[in-house]
Amino acid sequence: MGQFIQFALNGLLAGTIYSLIAVGIVSVYKATRVVNFAHGYLIMFGAYFYYTFAVLLPGLEWAPGWLAKWEPSWLLAARAEAEMFSPRATVLDWLSNLPRIVLGILGSILACAVLGRVIERALMRPMIGQSAFAMIMITVGLVSVLSGAKGLIWTADAAFVPHIAPNAPIRFELFGSMVFLFGADLVNAAIAVILFSGIVLWVRYSRGGVAIRATAEDQQTAYSMGISVPAVFGHAWVLAATTGAIAGAILATRNGVSPSLGLFGFSVLAIVLMGGLDSYVGVFIAALAVGVLEAMAQWQLGGEWAEVVPYIAVLVVILIRPHGLLGQKEVERI
Amino acid sequence: MINGNLKASYAADERILDNPYRRGFVFGAAALAAALPFVANDYIILVAAQMGIMLIAVIGLNVVIGYTGLLSLGHAAFIAIGAYAVPLLHRLFAAWGLPEGVMPLLAIPLAVAVAALVGLVVGLPSLRVKGLYLAVATLSANFIVIFLIELDAMAPFTGGFNGINTPEANILGWRLDSQREMFALIAGLGFATILLVQNLFRTRVGRAFIAIRERDYSAEVLGISLLRYKLLSFAVSAACCGLAGALFAYFYARILPEQFELALSLQLVAALIVGGMGRTMGPVFGVVIIVMVPELLKYSFGAIAGGSADVAALRAPVQEIVFGALIILFLMFEPLGIAQIVDRWLRSLNRWPFARG
Repeated sequence: MGQFIQFALNGLLAGTIYSLIAVGIVSVYKATRVVNFAHGYLIMFGAYFYYTFAVLLPGLEWAPGWLAKWEPSWLLAARAEAEMFSPRATVLDWLSNLPRIVLGILGSILACAVLGRVIERALMRPMIGQSAFAMIMITVGLVSVLSGAKGLIWTADAAFVPHIAPNAPIRFELFGSMVFLFGADLVNAAIAVILFSGIVLWVRYSRGGVAIRATAEDQQTAYSMGISVPAVFGHAWVLAATTGAIAGAILATRNGVSPSLGLFGFSVLAIVLMGGLDSYVGVFIAALAVGVLEAMAQWQLGGEWAEVVPYIAVLVVILIRPHGLLGQKEVERI
Repeated sequence: MINGNLKASYAADERILDNPYRRGFVFGAAALAAALPFVANDYIILVAAQMGIMLIAVIGLNVVIGYTGLLSLGHAAFIAIGAYAVPLLHRLFAAWGLPEGVMPLLAIPLAVAVAALVGLVVGLPSLRVKGLYLAVATLSANFIVIFLIELDAMAPFTGGFNGINTPEANILGWRLDSQREMFALIAGLGFATILLVQNLFRTRVGRAFIAIRERDYSAEVLGISLLRYKLLSFAVSAACCGLAGALFAYFYARILPEQFELALSLQLVAALIVGGMGRTMGPVFGVVIIVMVPELLKYSFGAIAGGSADVAALRAPVQEIVFGALIILFLMFEPLGIAQIVDRWLRSLNRWPFARG
């Protein structure tokens, strides 16, 4: 029982990260009717940008020393007093990393936003009005391009990247059994949930969000109501790229920076289809469910089974409910 | 469609090679393939055999994507099944004590049949979901098949991550132990496949596929059973890929699971889009481009770098970028592929010296 709770909690925490990745795919789909197969590779770029700005850049010779390691005298004094491996010490360690973490996240968001914008401008906008098939296949081509571009830009295998939050181990009792979690995982999950709900509320209530929903409903009508559809496309892509950058940074701290992050996007695509392409709530539920299922598979069957859980789950769900858990059924006229 | 060819009878109109360009191309290609084993060097044979294997697979993919209009991103899985079936069947036959000379004659059709069966299973979601959902379902199938092959529990059969040694083909005593001899087999089967598939689209079944592509509900109204024909389309296409896989296994001495991952599926799709979807010649043009790109890159990188390891390491990523860029550029500027470009040239050639229409 104790292990069950432990694995279920781990799964839920991982699930929130999936939901943060999924929100990018859903947003682009809602606005443009394009399913972005390359989203995982955008996230991989986010992770590598974080690595560049948080590790490579501060490590350069001309970078100021405080960027790599911020050590004002009070911090050093407090650090010397704190016990090794105590929560206090981890927080202080994190504080001295804070400048480069902030630089890393900001740089990653900015760089990814530019990348998303460029993709939208160069590849998606000329295709407005073309068949959805062509646009989707373009994102499939983008998978190859981005994966190759990564190989050209970042040749070295990445090393350690700093955690976004203090990574203190936390122990507490839940339903009569001890549970062990890492502080950074909790903060990551909190960031993911806050961003996810923020985006859902934004799409629901803000002007820009309503424009996205109107475009999703009917492009022609949206146009005639004075909504600039190309601008909506641009917003959706930038939104996806920025959330992707944050998700990439989080994944980089969790799993390390590696090209395999790109494949993550495909499992999240499976989650999105499971939840229903156009339903934020359904996707959130699916993300948490797959997170927990993966943790359970890892616990009972071994680590390698966790990788295929999303794919098996999506096949089962699609066969039973073709439009996902909460997806809207498409009505077709002949 | 190439116009400007005079037909004087219905028989002339119904011929497969209904214009001189087609006749010239097909007979030329057949003559070239027949002559290659005798005149070409080992390198050209290797490239040509790779093209032949890819061609059979892309023809199969063309049935599903090009003619039936079902998007699949997981056809590498069927190639994997065809390829792994061959060594496993050989082991089984050896246990039964069959003579070596008949093994390939049984193993190839059985590998094709197994791939077709798996194709039926993978095609099942196509009844409920379309387009994109199907693309993700087939993608999932690809991941699952590779996962099962790599699984530790399957390692005694499939060799797990390390791959498995494949037997060489021995057809009634003719040992195909050189790539040259294998090429003869591949070329023969390649021609047979392209003919069979081309013929399929002159029959009721093929026309049903095309009707489903155009509008599946309308096809259903016309009395075409979607269940039957969608599954059939998947089975035919998986069978072609299974044949490609079986030849792949005989051609190379060893197969690895990583050769059949998503990258291969994307390569097949790239070849189809570049060549032209739903066209007989599409896979042919596409495969020539897709196989030549890595070879040209190898050649040019060799010329530039002259053996420097740093530059040579950049070749794989550049190759990936070129594949992706080919998909993107063709979709943006010539979605109908090279087949369409060639048609345009031939049309203008037919009308010369007047302006092309």
